[in-house]
Amino acid sequence: MLLQCLNISYRYPQGDALVFRDLNCRLADPGFHGLFGPSGVGKSTLARIMAGEISGFTGEIKRRDRAGILYSCNTERLPGWSSVGDHLTKVTPAANLPLLRELITAFDLGSCVDSRFSQLSLGQKNRANLTRYLLQDFDLLIMDESLANVDEATRKQIIVTIKQIFPDRYFLYISHSVAEVATFCARILVLRDIHKSPQLIEVAGRDHHGDAVPDRPALERAMLEIVHAA
Amino acid sequence: MLHKRLSQFLIIYFLGLGLLLAVKYCFGLSDYVIPGFTDMQNTAQAVAAGYLRAVLDTLGVAVIGHVLAIALATVVAIVGRPDNLLGTMIKTAAYNLQAYPIVAVAPIIFILLGDGLPSRLLIAAIICYFPLLLSFIGILGEPVAGIEHFYVVTGRMRWQLEVKIRAFENIHKLITVVTGSATLAMVGTIVAEFIGADSGIGYSLRIALYQSDIAKVLVALFLIGVFNSLYLVALELLGLAVRKRMGVEQRTQQ
Repeated sequence: MLLQCLNISYRYPQGDALVFRDLNCRLADPGFHGLFGPSGVGKSTLARIMAGEISGFTGEIKRRDRAGILYSCNTERLPGWSSVGDHLTKVTPAANLPLLRELITAFDLGSCVDSRFSQLSLGQKNRANLTRYLLQDFDLLIMDESLANVDEATRKQIIVTIKQIFPDRYFLYISHSVAEVATFCARILVLRDIHKSPQLIEVAGRDHHGDAVPDRPALERAMLEIVHAA
Repeated sequence: MLHKRLSQFLIIYFLGLGLLLAVKYCFGLSDYVIPGFTDMQNTAQAVAAGYLRAVLDTLGVAVIGHVLAIALATVVAIVGRPDNLLGTMIKTAAYNLQAYPIVAVAPIIFILLGDGLPSRLLIAAIICYFPLLLSFIGILGEPVAGIEHFYVVTGRMRWQLEVKIRAFENIHKLITVVTGSATLAMVGTIVAEFIGADSGIGYSLRIALYQSDIAKVLVALFLIGVFNSLYLVALELLGLAVRKRMGVEQRTQQ
C-alpha cells in the first residue's frame, strides 16, 4: 500500500463549509487509477492533500516510507527564458536522459523542443509539463487534468505509453471523461458531494493497455457504474 | 522612441513658454518680471555652455544615484522577499519609511556630509530608492505558482531560481518601474543641489532664483528636460535589449 487517507475532513482556510467529511480512500496497488467527480467537488484539493501540499485537515494520511508523491496540473508553465528542449534536459536526472528521448517521441513533442513554452499550443504545453514530471523519481504521480486540450488519439497514446513504461508506479489521473477513466484506469475513486455518504466510492475500471479492442459491454457497465456513483 | 520622448517634451515646453509670453503681453508685465523672447535668446547664448556642463554634472550624479538605488533595492527586496520575520520587518519598514517625505531629511545630510558630491548622490539615491524598493518587494515577493510549483515539489528551488522566475515573469513591470524612477533620481539630485550643494543645475537654478532671472530658469528647464528625456530613452532601449535577450519579445507576440 502506497497511500491511505483515513477519516479526512477539510474546510478551506477562508471557508465555513466542509469540503470533505470523514473521507477514506487508499491506493493499494501500482497502476493507472482515476479520480472522478463533478466540478467543484474537491478533486484537486484531495489530490493536493494526498501530495502533502495542503495541510490543516483532520484525519490521517498514511504514506509508505519515503514515498515520492508528485502533483501536476494543467495550469503549470515552463519558464520562458529557454527552449522547451533545454528545460527538459536540465530538469532530467542523467539516468533518465534516454527516457526523455523516448517520451519526446511518444508524446509527439519533437517539433516543440526548440520552441519557447509560450509558443506551444495548449495541448503541447500540457504534454511538455507532464513529460518533465514523468522524468522525476516518483512513486505516485497525480495527473490533474494533465492531458486537457490534447486530442483523443494522442491522449490515448500517451496513457498507453505511460502504462507500458511505468508498470510499477502509481498514477492518479483526474479527468472529467467517464469513458477515458473507465477505459484506462484500474480503480476509479469517485468523489461525490459532501452530503452523500460515503463521500468517496471506489469503482473498478477496465485498465485497458491498448493492446486489444476493449470489451464494449464491460466498458459500458463500468461507465454506468461510475456515473451512478457520481 | 527618442523622437517621441523629445517631441513630447518640446511640445510641453514651448506651450508653457508660449503661455508665459501670453501672460506677459496680456498683462503688460515688464521684462524684469518675464523677459521678452529676445532677452531669453541672449540669456540662452550667454549661459548655455555653463548650464550644459551643470546639467551633465547633475545627470551624472543622478545616474550613479539611480544605479545605487536600484542595486540596493534589489538586494533588500531579495532579502525581504520571504514571509519570515526578517521579510516582514523589511516590508513594514519600507512601507512606513516611504510614507515620509524623505527630501525633508536633506538638510541633515548636508550638515553631516557637507555640500559636495556625497550629499547630492545620497539624496538622489534615497529619493528614488523607496518607490523602487516597494515595487521590487511586491514583484519579488509574489510567487509565480504556475512555474514555481514544479521546482518546489521536486526539491530544485533555490533563492536564485526563485528570483529569476519572478523577475522574468515581471520584466515589463520592472523595466517600467526602473524607467519611471529615473526622473525621481533627477529630481532628487536637483533638489539636493538646490538646497545646499555648490554645483549642478540645481545650484544654477538657486542662483537664478536669487537673481529673479526667469530667462536663466527657462534655459535650465530646457536643458533638464532634454537630458532627462535622453536618459529615459537610454533606459527604455536598455530594457528593450534585456527583454530581447531574455526572449520576452517572443512571448508578447503570441
